[in-house]
Amino acid sequence: MSITVRFRHDFPGFSLNAAFEAGSNGVTALFGPSGSGKTSCINVIAGLLSPAEGFVSIDGEILLDTEQGYNLPASRRRVGYVFQDARLFPHLTVSGNLDYAARRARPRPQSSERAAIIEMLGLGHLLDRHPRSLSGGEKQRVALGRALLTSPRVLLLDEPLAALDQGRKAEILPYLETLRDERRVPVIYVSHAIDEVARLADDIVLLNDGGVAAEGPVEEVLSRLDLFPLTGRFEAGAALRATVASQDAQTQMTEARFSGGSIWIPGLASEIGQPLRLRIRARDVMLARTAPDAISANNILAATITEFREEPGPYLDVRLACGDSFLLARITRMSRERLSLEPGDRVFAIIKSVSIERATSERTKA
Amino acid sequence: MSFTLSDAEIEAVILSLKISLVAVLVALPFAIAVAWLLSRHRFPGRSVLDAIVHMPLVLPPVVMGYLLLITFGARAPLGRWLLETFDIRLVFSWTGAALAAAIVTFPFQVRAIRLAMEAIDPGLTQAAETLGANAWDRFVSIILPLAAPGILAGAITAFAASLGEFGAIITFVSNIPGETRTLPLAIYTAIQTPGGEEAAARLAIMAITLAFAGLFLSEVAARKLRAIVGR
Amino acid sequence: MVLGLTLTATVCRAAETVTVFAAASMTNAVEEVISRFEDNMPGGIRSSFAASSTLARQIEAGAPASVFISANSKWMDYLQDRGLINPGTRRNLASNRLVVIGARSETTLPINLGGTRPFAMLLGDRGRMAIGDPAHVPAGIYARQALEKLGLWKDVSNRLALTDNVRGALTLVARGETPVGIVYATDVALSDQVRVLTMLSPASHEAILYPVALVSGGETTSAREFLAFLTGLEGAAILRKHGFEEADGL
Repeated sequence: MSITVRFRHDFPGFSLNAAFEAGSNGVTALFGPSGSGKTSCINVIAGLLSPAEGFVSIDGEILLDTEQGYNLPASRRRVGYVFQDARLFPHLTVSGNLDYAARRARPRPQSSERAAIIEMLGLGHLLDRHPRSLSGGEKQRVALGRALLTSPRVLLLDEPLAALDQGRKAEILPYLETLRDERRVPVIYVSHAIDEVARLADDIVLLNDGGVAAEGPVEEVLSRLDLFPLTGRFEAGAALRATVASQDAQTQMTEARFSGGSIWIPGLASEIGQPLRLRIRARDVMLARTAPDAISANNILAATITEFREEPGPYLDVRLACGDSFLLARITRMSRERLSLEPGDRVFAIIKSVSIERATSERTKA
Repeated sequence: MSFTLSDAEIEAVILSLKISLVAVLVALPFAIAVAWLLSRHRFPGRSVLDAIVHMPLVLPPVVMGYLLLITFGARAPLGRWLLETFDIRLVFSWTGAALAAAIVTFPFQVRAIRLAMEAIDPGLTQAAETLGANAWDRFVSIILPLAAPGILAGAITAFAASLGEFGAIITFVSNIPGETRTLPLAIYTAIQTPGGEEAAARLAIMAITLAFAGLFLSEVAARKLRAIVGR
Repeated sequence: MVLGLTLTATVCRAAETVTVFAAASMTNAVEEVISRFEDNMPGGIRSSFAASSTLARQIEAGAPASVFISANSKWMDYLQDRGLINPGTRRNLASNRLVVIGARSETTLPINLGGTRPFAMLLGDRGRMAIGDPAHVPAGIYARQALEKLGLWKDVSNRLALTDNVRGALTLVARGETPVGIVYATDVALSDQVRVLTMLSPASHEAILYPVALVSGGETTSAREFLAFLTGLEGAAILRKHGFEEADGL
């Protein structure tokens, strides 16, 4: 399953020229600052925006080809779209909203399918309610269910969490993860929040300045120092793939193993062997020339410095190779001088806190 | 004063109701179509259409009646064609009165419906599009239901205005008892007839009662509809 | 603006404006009389032409008329009973005849009122006969009387187009909306689209009289002079020219 997109469109004030491939790996994030054209990209895929020039195809089937003058209307593209503001129909109940999609889907979803989606998203007790009586999070879940019931070839999510507060976001993220893990539908996820992207995406397309700045697997792109201004300097960090190696019931800690060693995390309810995605913020990583002894941090990993990223100001970003993976550390220039750090140096990375995202890897590499 | 209506008076009331109902119902689909055209689309001639639709609001009703006469009168091209082809005669007939009322109250319907349509969040029709609804489908499944309170409000306003229409009707189809003598025309005739003051008063009371009933019904219906539609 | 109006009103009153309310059927004749009068004696003369019923009601409601010409005695009686006209000045100005008219462009056979259902052919399935509303329009009242006298009323009573004044009936026939109508003989001259199909015998209805009188409170010198002119030789000549017939006194 692959989605090919390339187009050019002029907006008042700026011109957008994007080209990328998506979908081969599950969730592709479209990431970039506000106004960089992320929503326009999915609008082009959905057919809601007809660019001046463009080409869109899903799995070989052409949806848009301006050179040939071909433009399949949005209503025929079989693309599921979840909007930032849910956009549930106020004159229908939740059940009515779901049926609206199901009735127009080709092929029609089976009733078992409908039941499964309702179950997965926890909509059972909401079916007779009207949208105006739902909370923001509930609305988004219904919107998700509605989009899924169109038997879509691809699911487009436009910053689905942006309109929600922290509590609601935390409530929905698990549903999105389940969605990613259990459905076979590729997802394109638009966001300007790096933690959402790190948690959910497999691949990432970075948009900036009217074009695509980078694309690739999320661990790799997020750890690239040259992309820091885009990947969010304060939140910058590495994304690691690891597996649950063991659980210590007594201290309630979980051991996650990856190619560079083991990382201990406060108790996760995961099974041995379960794939995990870890996100380690650069500012949480300390460097040492020698392995410290009596120190509280549980994670001391051997790593090699591969490069520095200089910038004006007191800070300095360091990229480290750790096994086959990469880590990022943010230190001061003062520290570098004091320790005389150079690329190629073998050091120890000390990690105190880790942000954990769970992921199963049943991603079919299509 | 006696409050029992004479046969002629009852006839006038029933005729008024019939003509107004037909006028509103016949104009409704056109009003919906025109309101839809004007609400979201840009096309050459749009402001001309807008002006034509609103003309009855600013033209004296007698002028409307006159325009109808020179279009549908017995010697006029359209009128003659209707007579010869379909044996349809609008002058002196309640159908002509209904046509006059429909045209004069058309802007009320169009305005109310257009307002309701413009208030619909365009994001909703976009969402419907992504769910597989083509233009007609979106119109029927999203636009019409959400505009329903406005459609009803427009229809009831037009109905009440039709009940009171005088100048266009009397100029176009004359004042024929049983055919075109609606409440206002009956009141007019009663005033002119010596001793007709009582009849005029009774008819006026009927007219006021009907107007109030219409307004009340419209409020109730609008409230119910708004609840269903989720506003 | 109010100041301007009151000033004008005062000036007019000073010149003693004569306001003439006259039945619509006399419009052209009375207008010519007025313009001839103004040649001899300049002063302000205003006129208003409408159905006699409308005018009578307006006078009753206090409209500032000086002279009232009605198209039938009933409305003049109406005002006289209420003391709204000066009975000493009342006289019959003229009389008129009823005619049956049809459209000039249609070729119709002459009507024989004595025959069975003389209007059947003209009216056909859908046609109507245009007359003034017999409830209040004098020409309509006379027309109904005539039709009843001839035994034709029942036949045509549901095939009528009732107008608010006699000119309306004339217009309907002239425009071809109705194939036949009943109007005054004097009205026929107003339109070249109609022609007389037959005349109704004066015996079939009340005498069509046009009484004239001064309105109570409007008996100014100018008004009296106008009335004298109207009922005098010159006035009579103009009326005759327009097709009115003489009336016998009062």
